[in-house]
Amino acid sequence: MIINALKNFFCSNKERSETEICSLRRSFQDHYKSFRSLLTANNIALELMAEMDETLREGQPFSMAFVRGHCTALTVNIYKMIQHLHELSNGKYAGLARVFDTVSEKIEGIIARQPKIAKGEFVLSMAEVDIYSTDQAGGKMANLGEIRNRVGLNVPDGFVITAAATKYFMDSNNLQDEINRRLKLMDDGDLEDLYTTSASIQQLIANAHLPEDLEQLINKQYEDLALRSNSRVLVSMRSSALGEDSSSISFAGQYRTQLNVTDDMLGITYKEIVASKYKSQAIVYRMQRGFRHQDVVMCVGCLSMVDGVVSGVMYSRSPRDPRSEWVIINAAPGLAGQVVDGRAMTDFFRVSRKSPFKVISREIRTHASSTMSDSQAAELADIAVRLEEHFGAPQDIEWSINDKGKIIILQSRPLAHTAAVEEQPNNDETAESFLAGGVTASTGVASGIVHIVRSNIDLLQFPEGAVLVVAHPLPEWATILNRAVAVVSETGHVTAHLATVSREFGIPAIFGIAHATEKLKNGETITVDALGRRIYEGQRDDLLKNAAPPSNLMAGSPVYKLLEEVLRLITPLNLTNPASPYFRPSSCETFHDITRFCHEKAVTEMFSFSSRYGFDEKGAKQLVGDIPLQWWVINLDDGFREGLDLKDKWIRIDDIVSLPMLAIWEGMTAVEWKGPPPVNFKGFGSVLFQSTMNPSLDPAVRSSMSSKSYFLISRNFCNLSVRLGYHFSLAEAHLSDLLTENYVSFKFNGGAADESRRFIRVNLIREVLEQYDFRVEQKADALTARIEKKSAPFLIERLKVLGYLLIHTRQIDMVMGEQGMVDSYRKSLMADLEKIVNPAKENVT
Amino acid sequence: MSDKLNILLVDDEKDFLEITTKRLTRRGYNIRSATTCAEAIEIIESDWPQVIVLDVMLPDRDGIECLKDIKKKRPSAIVILLTGHASMQAGRQSMECGANDYCLKPIELDDLIEKIKIAHRGSLSS
Repeated sequence: MIINALKNFFCSNKERSETEICSLRRSFQDHYKSFRSLLTANNIALELMAEMDETLREGQPFSMAFVRGHCTALTVNIYKMIQHLHELSNGKYAGLARVFDTVSEKIEGIIARQPKIAKGEFVLSMAEVDIYSTDQAGGKMANLGEIRNRVGLNVPDGFVITAAATKYFMDSNNLQDEINRRLKLMDDGDLEDLYTTSASIQQLIANAHLPEDLEQLINKQYEDLALRSNSRVLVSMRSSALGEDSSSISFAGQYRTQLNVTDDMLGITYKEIVASKYKSQAIVYRMQRGFRHQDVVMCVGCLSMVDGVVSGVMYSRSPRDPRSEWVIINAAPGLAGQVVDGRAMTDFFRVSRKSPFKVISREIRTHASSTMSDSQAAELADIAVRLEEHFGAPQDIEWSINDKGKIIILQSRPLAHTAAVEEQPNNDETAESFLAGGVTASTGVASGIVHIVRSNIDLLQFPEGAVLVVAHPLPEWATILNRAVAVVSETGHVTAHLATVSREFGIPAIFGIAHATEKLKNGETITVDALGRRIYEGQRDDLLKNAAPPSNLMAGSPVYKLLEEVLRLITPLNLTNPASPYFRPSSCETFHDITRFCHEKAVTEMFSFSSRYGFDEKGAKQLVGDIPLQWWVINLDDGFREGLDLKDKWIRIDDIVSLPMLAIWEGMTAVEWKGPPPVNFKGFGSVLFQSTMNPSLDPAVRSSMSSKSYFLISRNFCNLSVRLGYHFSLAEAHLSDLLTENYVSFKFNGGAADESRRFIRVNLIREVLEQYDFRVEQKADALTARIEKKSAPFLIERLKVLGYLLIHTRQIDMVMGEQGMVDSYRKSLMADLEKIVNPAKENVT
Repeated sequence: MSDKLNILLVDDEKDFLEITTKRLTRRGYNIRSATTCAEAIEIIESDWPQVIVLDVMLPDRDGIECLKDIKKKRPSAIVILLTGHASMQAGRQSMECGANDYCLKPIELDDLIEKIKIAHRGSLSS
C-alpha cells in the first residue's frame, strides 16, 4: 500500500524506475520516521514545560529532584528534536546544537550552584556578633548579638560556633556526600523511611569525630565564659541556622535545643545539634517550604543558662493586624522552653504600645494570681517596641525574667503575619457544632477523618488528608503537617511552634479544646472551622466552600527562586513569527524557542522533501464533495484508503483513512455552516470569497503552498494549516495506542476585524477550548492550545471541537461588537458542540 | 524467532530485575537480564536483544561507558538508560553516545513499555 502511495506521491508527472522508487521510498520513510519521532519529543518537551510552569504557579511543594528531573528530561527530548531535525534537513541547522549547548550549560550552572559559606573564625564570642555576622553566626545568634551590642539589652553571655566551623567538621569527616546519598534514596512519601533515614543520618553525624583544633577552640571560649561568670556555668546550646528567621519562614521548633549542658558535654551536644538539622520534622519542613538541605547550615549558640522565674513569648503587635497598637505577652512560670513547645498554660496580657505601657487586658490561667506585675509587663512592652523600632519590623520575642527581676532576651525575630489569630477564647457552644472553644492557632476550614496521635506509632499510621488530633501540640508533630488537613489540640496556644508551622502551611488549627482526644473517635469525618473555633460532624461543604484558597508555600524560597530562574531559560517564547528573518537558530534564547524552531522547520522539511525529489504541488489532491470551502490533502504515508486510484487530482472524504483528519472533518461538517453572519454580507462575503475562491488557489495553478489550506496526513497524523483571508490556524494531532505520542495542538492567529473584536473572539475560543480540557495560552489575539497524553477516543472528541470552531468562528469577529451578540454566539456554539461531542468518551488513563 | 520483542534488562538491583522481568514477560516480551556490564556484553554478542534497558550505575562499569561498549559491538542497538540520579549533563552525554532515551527512576511499568515501544518504533528502518 505504501509503495503504491509513494509511487503516486513521487511520480505524478513522469515515470520512474523501480530502483529510483525504492530508494525514494526508503528515503521518505526515514524522513517520516524522524518527523514522527521529532513530534513525539516535542510533545513530551512541551508537556514538561507546562508541568514546570504549573508547579511554580500552584505553589505545591516541590524539591530539587523535581527541578533536576524535569530539566534532564527536557534536555534529552530537545536533544532528540535537534537530532531528528538534523536528519530531516541533512544538517541544515547546525547552529541549533550550539544554542542548545549554551542554554543547557546555563541551566546546569544554576542547578549546580552551591550556597556560599562565609570563611572566618570557628568560634565568636557574643561581644563579637551583630547583625552583620548573620552569614557566620546564623540569624538567631546574629540578632541576639545585635540586641546585646547595639540595642543594649540583656542577653545571656556566651559564644557562637560558626557556619565555617560546621563546614569544617562536616568536611573533615566527609559526611555530606553520604548524607546526600541517603536522602536521595529516601522515599518522601513513606513516613517509616523518613524516620529511619532521619535517625541514621543523625547517628552518622553524632558518631563523627570532632576535629581536635575545633574542640580546643570551643573549650577555650567556654573557659573565657566561666571566667567572666566567676563560675563553671551551665550553658544552653541552641541551633542558629543560616536562612532561618525571615518573616515568613520560621523554622519554628525544627532543631534541637539542649539546656543545662555541662562543660564536658559541649562537643557531644554540639554534634547533636548539628545533627538535628536532619530531624524528621526539619526534613519535611524544608521540603514543604522549598529549601534544599544544603541551603541550611547549622551554627550553634552556646549561652549561659538563665534561671527564669517567669518566661514567655511576646509579639510587638498583633500577628493578625500589623497596625494594632498593643503588645501581646504570653507568660508562664519557669523556663521559656515550655511556652514555645506548647506544653505550658500561659497567662495572656495585652499591653499598650505607648508609654506608660498600660495593661489593656489580661487573662490569668496559670495560677490564681498573675505571673508578673503590671510594671514588668510594661517593661516588656517597652522592650518589644524598642526591638521593633531597631529591626524595622514587628518582632516575635522570647524572654525570661530571672530571680533578680532582670529581663533577659533569648531571641527576637520578625513576626510572621501568616494569618495568625489573636488569642480570644470562645466559649459559646451551639447545638449545631459538635465541639467548640479553644483558640484559633491557625485560621481556615478543612474536613477529614480524625486520627488521634499519642505516640510515634500513631504517627506512622497517619493517613493522608486526616485531621491531626493531639493532647499537646509538640513540635515533633510537625513531621506530618504535610499530610494533615487540620490540627486539633487539647492544650496549647498561638505561640506554640506547631501553631506557627500550621499557619505557614496554611493548615487550620484549634488549640485548647478540652477532651478532644476523648470526644473525637478515630476514623470519623469532621469539619474543623478554626476561625469559628468549632468542630462539626461530617463534611460541611457549606463551610468548606468559604475556605480561603491555599497560599503558595514555596514562593520566595531558594528552590522556588531557582526554578523561576531556570524557567527564564526554558519557557519564554521569542520565536513567534516563522516569516521573520529572525526565525533562525541564533535567535533561540530558550528551550521553548528551540522546540518551536524544530517543529516549524520539521513541518517545512516534510513539505519540501517532495519538491526536492521532483514531487510538485499537483500531488496535493483537492477534496471534492458537498463540502464547505476548498481543501487540499497531501498523503504522507498511509492516510488514503488502500486501492485508491492515485492518478486523480481530486479525492473524496470517503477515500481518507486518517483518524485525526476524519475527526476534524466531522467537526467541520456536523453542523451546516449557515454562511457569513447577517451583517454587511457584502463586505464579509468578499473577504471570504477572496480567501477561498481565489483562482490562484486552484490546485492546477502554481502558488506558494503556505497560502493554501492543507491537510498533511497519515493514518495516525494530521497537520492542518488553514489560511482564510487574514486568519491563520494550525491544528495538529497524532493518535496512536501509545499515550506518550498522542496529542492535539491548535494555533490561532489574527483576524479581519479590528483589534478589540479579535480579542473578543479569541477569548470566546479560549473559553470553549478550556471547557473541553485544552491547556490554553493566549498572547494578544494569538492563541495556542494543547492536550497531551490522552487516549485516542478522548482526543477524537476534542478534534471535533477544533473542526467545528475552525468553520463556525471564522466570521464571528465581524459581529462581535456587542456583548449581546457574544452571548448569543456563545450559547449557539456550546449548544452545537454538546450535540457533536460525545462526553462519554472519557480518557482511559 | 517469535515476533515478541527481545529485551535485555541490565541492573544490579536484583529486586528490580526480578519484578520487572516478571511483569514484562506477562505483557508479552521476551526478557533476559544481566547484573553487570560484562554479562550484558556477552548477551549482546549473541545478537539476541532488540532493546536494552541499562541502569546507569553498574558495579563493574559506569553506565555511559557500558553504553559505549555496547554501541561499539552493536551500533544499531537500541539502548534506554535508566538513572536514579537525574543529571542534565549525563543525559546529554548519553544521547551523544547514541542512547535512544534517558529516563528517570522510579519509572512506572506502563511508562517504561511506552519508552521501549517508541524507541523501537523510532529505530525501525525498512
